[in-house]
Amino acid sequence: MKNLQYILFGLILLLVTFSACTKEVETEYGQFSLEFDNKVGTEAVVLSATGSTDYPFATGMSQNFNIQTLGYYISRIELSGPNGASYSDEVSTGATSEEVKGFYQVLESDASSKKIALENIPVGTYNKITFTLGIEADYVQDGANGGILDPSNGGWLWNWDSGYIFYKLEGTSPASTKPDNTFKFHIGGWKEITGNTAMTNNVKRISLDFPTDAEITTSSELEAHLVMNLLDALDGHHGVDFATTNMVMSPAAGADFAHNLETAFMVHGIH
Amino acid sequence: MPFYLKQPKQSIISLLIGCLGFMVCLTACQDDSLQKAKNPYEFVAPSNFPEPTYTFYNNELTEEGFKLGRKLFFDPILSIDGSISCSSCHDQSLAFADDPLHPVSIGIDGLVGTRNAPGLANLAFMKEFFWDGGVTHLDFVPINAIESPVEMGEDIVAVVAKIKNHSEYPALFKAAFNTTEINMPLLMDALAQFMLLMVSNNSKYDAYLKGTASLTTQELKGLKLFDQKCESCHSGILFTNQGYFNNGIDSVFSDSGRAVISANPLDIGKFRVPSLRNISLTTPYMHNAKFRSLEAVLNHYDNAVLPSNTLAPYLIQANGALGIPLSREEKEAIIAFLETLTDYELLNNSIFFKD
Repeated sequence: MKNLQYILFGLILLLVTFSACTKEVETEYGQFSLEFDNKVGTEAVVLSATGSTDYPFATGMSQNFNIQTLGYYISRIELSGPNGASYSDEVSTGATSEEVKGFYQVLESDASSKKIALENIPVGTYNKITFTLGIEADYVQDGANGGILDPSNGGWLWNWDSGYIFYKLEGTSPASTKPDNTFKFHIGGWKEITGNTAMTNNVKRISLDFPTDAEITTSSELEAHLVMNLLDALDGHHGVDFATTNMVMSPAAGADFAHNLETAFMVHGIH
Repeated sequence: MPFYLKQPKQSIISLLIGCLGFMVCLTACQDDSLQKAKNPYEFVAPSNFPEPTYTFYNNELTEEGFKLGRKLFFDPILSIDGSISCSSCHDQSLAFADDPLHPVSIGIDGLVGTRNAPGLANLAFMKEFFWDGGVTHLDFVPINAIESPVEMGEDIVAVVAKIKNHSEYPALFKAAFNTTEINMPLLMDALAQFMLLMVSNNSKYDAYLKGTASLTTQELKGLKLFDQKCESCHSGILFTNQGYFNNGIDSVFSDSGRAVISANPLDIGKFRVPSLRNISLTTPYMHNAKFRSLEAVLNHYDNAVLPSNTLAPYLIQANGALGIPLSREEKEAIIAFLETLTDYELLNNSIFFKD
């Protein structure tokens, strides 16, 4: 019984110490926002109407094209700083829209979707952002999810090879040999099978340095301006020739494009 | 604080008494639940089954959810013209397999699919679904049939809109999920709840394992042969290793099977190893419905395995001959054993009956 007395005393001491500690450190929080800006080289993306034969853009192979649909999923956003400041955006899944947090569908057609507001960021100096382009295995394997992941609400779910299309580019190019010169790039694929390099996990975890530090305070209203340059994806490794590559609809077929997407994003500025 | 320090003995004793009391309560509760009739809407993983793969943490099974799933399973509202329901191709009396007159699925407008609709059982324990394993979660299984142009041919957006405007469904969704939201994931959760309870572990073979029934000499002979000749693929209590193999039913594959998903040429002609539970009721057999009887299946393994680059190594004998040699008597015994895998409780369980 005497031993128990000591143990109990120890436990109480620990409890007192612990509560004292938590009282001392009072973290303050600020906000930060991201704005995604899609470009083709130096030109801002402008969407064309379905079936349009105007071609405002050209690839490095001088193939003209227009864009009718453009968008992508961003998830699991993290910020970090040189002095140890760090922030992880809350991520949760579930069948209802309110349960789904930390996943963003950035659509060129919807200006509000290009802005992501992050809250409850511990104040401090930040100089780096890390995010996932796509929906990682764990979240696919959580089962059917609501909100922007719900295909009855505009979510991009692949039915035949379950998982999410995480980058969608559709348009027309006179170089495309498909009917009406269409092209479709549906990039997805998260599965990995040991010993099978053909099975592609195209989901990318991307880390970008800020050009200048972001000092987040309780009252700061800073914004990171992120640019996604489509030409980096189209003209990169194994550059796209619309004559031969125009219907990309499987993980394996999208591997090169996904590889190029990894370097298509940059933080242009902190404003 | 000092108060507790002054009287540690008393508090510890109180604590101990509290703990004991709690334990007694817990034990009492357990006894109570054993005495109560089993809740038919509770998912219970049989103790000799592997861990369920299903994510129950995101979709808790309830009576309301199950019954909503049941209504949806029988409702052709899921198809574009109101003609095809899940039950069109998954009939309880056939262990939720398709009518033998439909060797491959028949969808809207009489359109003919390309693969045989399998029986449904023990889906809570499966890692992947469909003959090519493209779907990795039970929630994503029904949308494949709904959106297939040769099955239900409907857009999920339209399905959800129809359900939202239905006279009964909104209240049923509210009762099942306690939200006014109606969407694809909740629709899939309800269908999953219905399918998750299709646990098949009450066959004669299961009773034999539990020691409550005995197998005949012929069935036992079949079991022994099965373990020697079939168990490499149809392994374990689920009667599948959940792998992908080319079993030599073709040399050239119009349906490349697993390679559709894996993009690996070494997977051409491989298909998911099906469970053999309730197998005597789910004719025809194979993804392309090639065989109408179990006898035909065993004849195939005995003497009709076709060569190709991706043929399962289990089907190549040491001397290079193909297949698994089986005498007529051996085939009869194996079929007698396979018939012990029929679960009449599942076939007759009224919780799966249409309202």
